[in-house]
Amino acid sequence: MSDTFSAKRFVLLLKKTIAERPMQTIGVMVLWLLMSLILYVAAKKLSGFGAAQNLTFIWGLAGGEFFISSFMFGYFSTNANGSSYLTLPVSFLEKWLCAILIAGILYPIIFLLFFHGIDTAFVAAYHNSLDKTSVFYQQQYESVYTFSLNGMVAQKVYSLFLAFGGAMLTGSLYFNKIALIKTGISLTLLFLIIFGVNWLMASTLFQNINDAGPYDHVTLAVGKETGTLILPTNLEHNFHTGIDFVMPVVLWFLPLLRLREKEF
Amino acid sequence: MIEVKNLSFGYKKRKPLYKNLNLQLPVGSIYGLLGKNGAGKSTLLKNFTGLLFPTQGELRVNGFTPKKRLPSFLQTIYFIPEEVYVPSLTINGYKKLFAPFYPLFNEDQFHNYLDLLDVHDKGKLRTFSFGQQKKFVIAFALACNTKILLLDEPTNGLDIPSKIKFRKLIASVFTEDKMIFISTHQIRDLDNLIDNVIIVDNGELLLQASLSEIEKKLSFKVVDEMPRENEVLYAEPSLKGSVVVVENKTGEESKINLEYLFNAVTENPVKAKSLFNTK
Repeated sequence: MSDTFSAKRFVLLLKKTIAERPMQTIGVMVLWLLMSLILYVAAKKLSGFGAAQNLTFIWGLAGGEFFISSFMFGYFSTNANGSSYLTLPVSFLEKWLCAILIAGILYPIIFLLFFHGIDTAFVAAYHNSLDKTSVFYQQQYESVYTFSLNGMVAQKVYSLFLAFGGAMLTGSLYFNKIALIKTGISLTLLFLIIFGVNWLMASTLFQNINDAGPYDHVTLAVGKETGTLILPTNLEHNFHTGIDFVMPVVLWFLPLLRLREKEF
Repeated sequence: MIEVKNLSFGYKKRKPLYKNLNLQLPVGSIYGLLGKNGAGKSTLLKNFTGLLFPTQGELRVNGFTPKKRLPSFLQTIYFIPEEVYVPSLTINGYKKLFAPFYPLFNEDQFHNYLDLLDVHDKGKLRTFSFGQQKKFVIAFALACNTKILLLDEPTNGLDIPSKIKFRKLIASVFTEDKMIFISTHQIRDLDNLIDNVIIVDNGELLLQASLSEIEKKLSFKVVDEMPRENEVLYAEPSLKGSVVVVENKTGEESKINLEYLFNAVTENPVKAKSLFNTK
């Protein structure tokens, strides 16, 4: 049997991972779906369909991914558990693939199906509740539509999903205890530092800065108006390629290397 | 077979725990690794299993380099740490999920060992007492029939009858094609069980010898009159006189007392090393 990958061993590992800790895999997924449903209903009531769809999609996909990923390598809080995980006769590639399959493939598919299902149902219920004889029917009907899974918001959330998932998988292999909190704090600090340094750099070049996004834009106040400086198209393209593709690839492959080098 | 050549290891770069350690441990023996708390016993076992990586030197276990943690290597070795891990599963559930990873796992033996260790509890493993959990893991590990079994403080948490059963079980399952490596600071628990002794202290190997070699080179006896000080490796007053460990110059046989041996070696490391040619 190959020491790198064996389908039989991989299936055994997947079965073991889910059956050994059903609450941290299936339980958390179900919980997150339920919380997403509650959030959708509450946000719809308070702020309408648009806010409900956007909020739930971010919370469910990016937030859920961050939370679920924290359990994938969450074996290192005790000496016994960590030793048992690392000495299980399975290759590090199989362990990594198992985490990718559950957190990076299964969960998003389940969430997208669930989200699309509840969104379609609520939007249909709204459409059915409209008075077809009203003069505003057409206008009211067209004001609410299902969330586009290919739209601009969705694209941004997919990037967040990849970044958060990869960061959490990596973080859980570096922080043995309370990895979820420690990775969350590290990410927050990282964002604060990046934005802070960017702001400082921008403020040395410009005055009256309203807003500054790292490697993206600077918004300046000019009298009562504001003007936005953006990167040249080719630089912007390079930056966004890095954020959307290079960074997630690095973050999702780093755990593979870390698993191989992990000492415990 | 475990081969250690000039192994160095340290948790901090500037403070090595082991420096240039050399060991040759063939299969077919039950080894007792003795050392004080913090002497580096668990660290050594973790190096053997591939949980920690040597900073220098060469380490081969069953012909593999442990740090690679290849599945074919991990199938030949089972490590039971001092604190055992059991998930929220029943005995059968655990067996179904974990046993398929070990090709030589034997179900009949597993149930037999559970019987011998008096593990009859029903329900989830998490609800078992610590001692029962430990006995369960020991039974599972033995049934995996790995070539090497590493046990770190296996008798911690076991009551006296369980310790006796553990010793009996280990002695009964041992075969010449296996190696059992027991690390402990509870020396008495290894009486009549091990046939090779390894003593480490401050990251240094002080002794690696078989019991027959120790018997030939050291004498354990009770004396009324103390021998000359430079001949005594260890002395302790007792009710019948003084217990002493001295160099065996006459070839007489005496029963080895592991506790006295340990004290003799750790209190006279230089003398002990020269006596046993420990490198």
